[in-house]
Amino acid sequence: MTRDTDRPTPGPSAAGHAEGFRARDGRRPQAFRLDDPDVVLAEEGLAVRRGAVVVTPAPVLPEPEEELPLPPSPPEGSRWAALFWTGLGGLVSMGLGLAVWKLIEDLFARSDWLGWTATGFAALLVVAALAILGRELFGLMRLKTLNRLRLAAARALLHDDRREAEGVVAELMTLSKGVPRLFRARSELSGHLGEIIDGADLVRLAERHLMAPLDAEATKLVADAAKRVSVVTAVSPRAAVDLVFVLLTAVSLVRRLALLYGGRPGALGMFRLFRQVVAHLAVTGGMAAGDSLIQQVVGHGLAAKLSARLGEGVVNGLLTARLGLAAIEVTRPLPFAALKPPALADVASGFITRAEKKDAPNRPD
Amino acid sequence: MASGYMASWYEGLVEEARLAALTLLDRAEDLASPTLRLGITGLSRAGKTVFTTALVHALTRGGRLPVFEAMHEGRIARAVLEPQPDDAVPRFAYESHLDTLMLERRWPESTRRISELRLAIDYAPARGGRRTLTLDIVDYPGEWLLDLPLLDQRFADFAATSLRLAREPARQALAAPFLAALAQVDPAAPAEEGEARRLAALFTDYLAACRAEEVAMSLLPPGRFLMPGDLEGSPALTFAPLDLPEGAEPPAGSLAAMMARRFEAYRERIVRPFFRDHFARLDRQIVLIDVLAALNAGPAALADLEAALDGILAAFRTGRNSWLGSLFRHRIDRVLFAATKADHLHHTSHDRLEAILRRLVERALARASDAGAEIDVVALAAVRATREASVKRGRSELPAIIGVPEAGQYDAADFDGMAEAAVFPGDLPEHPGALFDPGRGGFRGLTDATGGDFRFLRFRPPLVERNAEGRVLPLPHIRLDRALQFLLGDRLR
Repeated sequence: MTRDTDRPTPGPSAAGHAEGFRARDGRRPQAFRLDDPDVVLAEEGLAVRRGAVVVTPAPVLPEPEEELPLPPSPPEGSRWAALFWTGLGGLVSMGLGLAVWKLIEDLFARSDWLGWTATGFAALLVVAALAILGRELFGLMRLKTLNRLRLAAARALLHDDRREAEGVVAELMTLSKGVPRLFRARSELSGHLGEIIDGADLVRLAERHLMAPLDAEATKLVADAAKRVSVVTAVSPRAAVDLVFVLLTAVSLVRRLALLYGGRPGALGMFRLFRQVVAHLAVTGGMAAGDSLIQQVVGHGLAAKLSARLGEGVVNGLLTARLGLAAIEVTRPLPFAALKPPALADVASGFITRAEKKDAPNRPD
Repeated sequence: MASGYMASWYEGLVEEARLAALTLLDRAEDLASPTLRLGITGLSRAGKTVFTTALVHALTRGGRLPVFEAMHEGRIARAVLEPQPDDAVPRFAYESHLDTLMLERRWPESTRRISELRLAIDYAPARGGRRTLTLDIVDYPGEWLLDLPLLDQRFADFAATSLRLAREPARQALAAPFLAALAQVDPAAPAEEGEARRLAALFTDYLAACRAEEVAMSLLPPGRFLMPGDLEGSPALTFAPLDLPEGAEPPAGSLAAMMARRFEAYRERIVRPFFRDHFARLDRQIVLIDVLAALNAGPAALADLEAALDGILAAFRTGRNSWLGSLFRHRIDRVLFAATKADHLHHTSHDRLEAILRRLVERALARASDAGAEIDVVALAAVRATREASVKRGRSELPAIIGVPEAGQYDAADFDGMAEAAVFPGDLPEHPGALFDPGRGGFRGLTDATGGDFRFLRFRPPLVERNAEGRVLPLPHIRLDRALQFLLGDRLR
């Protein structure tokens, strides 16, 4: 017998209450003890007797291990660059075809204030140019710092050197000060710094705390870029168009990754960074032999025969993904030790599955 | 009566000036360190203590709060308990309540008086930097709010109102002993202490009887009769409403005059200081409401709850802080109404519960949004004690919840407080109007001879979960994060 807390489920007599909402449902409150022999838990997988009450607990959703990646923040516009263009634009608009100096002289001859205005714009140009130069230098220095930090961290990991590790973590904390979303991670980490932790563990701890959220976001950036490239390549009417698009995407991807990991690359910095990325790609090889994706790519050779555009899209996407992964390794201030580096499958799965779905009907059996 | 009018006008002015001075003082402190005073209230058994404990626990331990932006974005570094600012107010016993909840698996003792707790939240604003927000949590019984309308009442008004309530059909049986005693009392007779004590005791008994689970009445002023705290037995609590002849002043030295004097003392010594020192200084307020208990008890309880909420809502000085006005006058600018114990329902009914609550506070919603305050309604469970399931019996399938019911509940002797049970508490109506519509029969409560349409059991708190390293996991909850986002989110941007 099931034991009801209240009266048993109503028989036909309950139909007398025709008013109100209960006429629609007619379901009375009931309770069933789970240790009652007449009550069966569905998860036990037993054959259910007739007349038994079956209780199916709702599946418990697993807690997400890591927090969801945050939406990537848009790169902020630069005020100095704006000033630069203002200054230049001002000058250009004042006298196309006239030499600046001559122009100013001429303008002075015409009226003083025009001349002074032109001088002002010229001064702006100089100031902005200096500022941009300074930024370039700062970006280069930051790049150098990050490279040095990575090396030092690798050394600390190798030799389990606590003092070097402390230096690395302290520098990392200063670098990450500008990132508000790392505030909690940073203060947790600083709480741990007082404890007794070995050098290699300290670097790993810092990596887990400070890099994990950034890694998730970086993976998302690369995956998005790769997907975009593969789609655009597949649908673009001309080879030239997708060539330009792939190049632009690659540059912006590297820039955003560098920004994410604390770099401040200017034009020169980007140039150098790009060289590093390409060099890294050359060292690791375009394709890792052990990668399970390689079979898929071979398989897509077939897809490419059937639909050339689609195959190109997949290859271009894969290239972008590779480039992105290399860029992560180059821009990340710590080497991958405690956390797994994102694999090609993590960033390329989006467009591979899409392509597979798309060309599945084309595939000959 | 002109002089009396002048006197009360003057008193009102003094009161306003005092409030303004207190506010100015608070604002000055605010400049030094930003402070937010959050009031947590609700009628008794609504779950104030559990909510406060869960809130502090979630903030200090960093619970799973995906909707609470500042926490989810990792911008809250830590929240720590700090010594509270008011030395004369008891501290909220967070640690012992948490132990009761997690170690003993019992619900903590209910709020019987006002208590406070101060939390300092270190956070980074979204644009960078580092700040500290001081959060003062004030936990007080909702019954005290029902006293606030008494501030404008004289003894005659109070007596008339409460006797009218006592003679309503739903309460008449419970009030019978008191009413019978009252019939034999002559208000104009000379005052006698024994008589006053007897009447007050009977009146208190009647109020207490209205609180039983099967009846679950809510509108029961004066609130301190049920929550006396340390005032038990003092003359200010030894009065009762009397049948007074219309318009006549009671003769000096009579029972009525003594009762009136004590009522004034209650108003001036107990209600007004609470209003001035605590209630009028709040910035944010959450009102916890146990809608399910009223549904258990029946339509009369639901109607009574609505009336009580109306009384509570009239007390809020809601309204957006204007720049100049805010210097001199506190206003609560956000109020959240929360139907607690949402874990007693399958999640498919949560929206319906919210609809019922919205219907209950409808009038207040209209009034407060006119005044510019933000108001929201949520169905939540500060500590989630159940999981969900579906029960198949024959051909019918019921959405149920699984938990451990507390032992010895009304009509459920089967529960020993150890075994799990799957419970189907009844279907909430799709349109809340069906519950409030007496013409169509409304619904049946537990007092109904044919049995209730709803039966919400009380469950024991959940088992404490630990992760692989043996660290205690944060308590599970339902929509606590949404409540936090509404109450604190804008101050942590």
